[in-house]
Amino acid sequence: MAEEQAFKVAVLPCNGIGRLVSTVVRQAAYKIKQMRPEQVELLSCGRLAVGDPEHVEIARKYPLMVIDGCRPHCASFMCDELGKTPAARIYVADVMAENKINVAGEKRRGLTAKGEKLVNALAEKAVAEVDRIIADEMLSTL
Amino acid sequence: MAEKVCLQPCLGLRKEAVVGRQALYLVHEDLRPETTVLGCGPALNANVQEDVDFINMFPVLAVEACEKDCATRLVDKKGKAASRTVRVTELAEQEGVDLSGLPEGENIPTEHPAVQAVAARIAAMVDELLNAA
Repeated sequence: MAEEQAFKVAVLPCNGIGRLVSTVVRQAAYKIKQMRPEQVELLSCGRLAVGDPEHVEIARKYPLMVIDGCRPHCASFMCDELGKTPAARIYVADVMAENKINVAGEKRRGLTAKGEKLVNALAEKAVAEVDRIIADEMLSTL
Repeated sequence: MAEKVCLQPCLGLRKEAVVGRQALYLVHEDLRPETTVLGCGPALNANVQEDVDFINMFPVLAVEACEKDCATRLVDKKGKAASRTVRVTELAEQEGVDLSGLPEGENIPTEHPAVQAVAARIAAMVDELLNAA
């Protein structure tokens, strides 16, 4: 069991501020950590962008999953800056389309049940990816 | 005189960062909508033109959650200097607001007194920056 817990995934949410998806991604990041507290290391975009040694080390040490909120794919850009190929990429629009969720009318300062639905779908997809990545890592050591 | 101020927040996930972000939504959407723009850190880092333009065109007020001052350093990384850096923790302390009871890992409503107090201080700083520029 102790060996299993050594397998972790670094999760890099874009965590922006300008758009509604910024709030969705941030809320989903918290939920991902709640759902897999021992397996997930949440990374701060801000600290990573300025090369904070602790976060750079985490990003380099563990398989990395990026969550991009909007079209510029800023979390992926950051991953490229690190010279690391992510183990998984999630784009919020894909999750929205897959689950046919409409968040029109939601406000970025606080979500209602509609926005929470997208948060939950995003977190569920991310956690499934975390489980897959860890399974892949574990199998590669056997 | 500058037309607007670019509000550049910390991008962290800790509760002080959430207070700062929520305060900036209040400032930008309610208190000073005509005189502020919201700078998105990941977008600035990724050289999204709008966000690069913001720091080139307007004085930058960096709103930090901790002593790492990542927003200020990100603006430095892009070749500009923030006109002013403030920390949410210090603003709250000056306003007599205790942040210790706030939850980690969840959103904090804009109605919360801590968010309101920090937003009011930031709005005043926007005015000061515009008058000084």
